[in-house]
Amino acid sequence: MLYWQVLINGVLLGGLYACAAIGFSVIWGVMNLINLAHGSMIILGAYITYVINSATGLDPFLTIPISGAALFLLGFMVQKYLINHVIEGSVFMTLILTFGLDLLLVNMTLLLFTADFRSITPSYAGLGWEIGTIRVPYTRLGVFFFALALTLILSLLMNRTKLGNAIKATSFDKDAAGLVGVNVFQVYAITFGLGAAMAGMAGSLISVLHSFSPVLGGTFTMKAFVIVVLGGLGSVPGAIVGGLILGITENFASVLLEAGYKDAISFILLVAILVLRPRGILGKQFFAEV
Amino acid sequence: MLAVHHLGSGYKPLQILWDIELSVQEGEWLALLGPNGAGKSTLLKTIVGLLKPFQGEIWYLGKEISALPVHEMVRLGIALVPEGRRLFAGMTVRENLMMGAFSQNDNGKITAQLQRVFDLFPVLKEREKQVVGTLSGGERQMCAIGRALMSRPKLLLVDELSLGLAPVVVDGLLETLVAIKQEGVTLLVVEQDVNTALAYADRGYVLREGRIVKSGEAKQLLEDPSIQKDYLGY
Ligand SMILES: Nc1ncnc2c1ncn2[C@@H]1O[C@H](COP(=O)(O)OP(=O)(O)OP(=O)(O)O)[C@@H](O)[C@H]1O
Ligand SMILES: [Mg+2]
Repeated sequence: MLYWQVLINGVLLGGLYACAAIGFSVIWGVMNLINLAHGSMIILGAYITYVINSATGLDPFLTIPISGAALFLLGFMVQKYLINHVIEGSVFMTLILTFGLDLLLVNMTLLLFTADFRSITPSYAGLGWEIGTIRVPYTRLGVFFFALALTLILSLLMNRTKLGNAIKATSFDKDAAGLVGVNVFQVYAITFGLGAAMAGMAGSLISVLHSFSPVLGGTFTMKAFVIVVLGGLGSVPGAIVGGLILGITENFASVLLEAGYKDAISFILLVAILVLRPRGILGKQFFAEV
Repeated sequence: MLAVHHLGSGYKPLQILWDIELSVQEGEWLALLGPNGAGKSTLLKTIVGLLKPFQGEIWYLGKEISALPVHEMVRLGIALVPEGRRLFAGMTVRENLMMGAFSQNDNGKITAQLQRVFDLFPVLKEREKQVVGTLSGGERQMCAIGRALMSRPKLLLVDELSLGLAPVVVDGLLETLVAIKQEGVTLLVVEQDVNTALAYADRGYVLREGRIVKSGEAKQLLEDPSIQKDYLGY
């Protein structure tokens, strides 16, 4: 019975991970850009929810559109006014830029909120479903549901809209996209905005379940990296598969191994997958090659 | 229709094209010839805005366009079939063609133009749902031309029409270009085979080491004994 509980927890966490990684994955896949500030953007989303919730008492789930919009704007501006100017150059330039952005976000949140861990406790935090000995809190269920819904919406946007076509075309061949009339730099800005928005909204979801602090950003960037490597670049199904694997593995590891090993799990998975299957589990790259 | 004056261009900091003077009249078929590395592709890329000129001007329908970004060219009616086709690899034939109409907003016209492209290239209709990676070389070139036509261009630039294609396929493509020209589309075609290129063109320019070394009526150029030499670069 314990294992069922662990599995269910793992799946629920995996859904959240998928949502937290998909923005990183899309930005990487479309622009060949590794956003080292992704984790800090997640944390920023969590703080936005925290501030609104403590000021107005608004339910954390209802703050999702706000953190999404705020992070979209931030991402759009950063790409438009900074990264677009160096994206044609070497990959190192963009790495340095997003690294700098990460430092900026971490220090800004540290300054505003200190390094203390914060958490949000909705009124229904203690409630949940109980089936036999298995317990599923409503908060985890809600987070899982929203995480999947947001991921699905992004997927629909990418696959069913003209904007999505422009993004895909740009990721396949940016010169050819320009030739058919796609404003490639605009697409880049929107893509980075979308990736940041997904990070921010995932941060809102995380704030419901876990305590957080500005210093945790790096951990989330690392997890996003592992998930993308597991599932393959730029793909929504890939992010879901990668997220589930990481979520389930982490939960089993925390039961079967000593507590200290839990965070090492993502590293071990990363090394294993790079050695065994460098193209990711699904082995299909929906967007550009790395 | 298109006039290029004193144009210099290249890949910063390397200048490839020097002092290019070229003009295209409305409704004509212009051949651009020259040996490998002469700068033909560089010239086409500069015209459509993929490269920014170092010097000089590009006039199109009474407007100076050399400062415009590439994505605006197609809205002015200039389309390029790039060297190497450059199709969107993970998309189907139909999706590639529809991307060609990205700048168009009138759905009725898009559907009509898609039908027109399928009439010109019936094989694309058959392959409609196939991912372009599975097409043959000739079909890819048809798809690339079709994609460019989807924007209903006034001026169509074609780079390396026949590269890697069997002669019968090339003949088919040339006949299609004739049909496209008859609809009033102006053509600027880069083509490896001098004789074929000049047989279809009204006028031609010969580019060598980044400079225009010869230009004139296609018939005159065909009779010019030095042309083959220039072309081969001896
Ligand atoms: N991206 C690039 N960066 C630097 N130099 C380039 C680049 N592309 C082409 N060149 C150089 O520019 C020159 C002209 O190349 P271009 O492709 O325009 O020639 P071309 O006439 O189209 O030749 P081909 O018949 O082989 O297609 C060549 O010397 C080539 O090496
Ligand atoms: Mg060329």
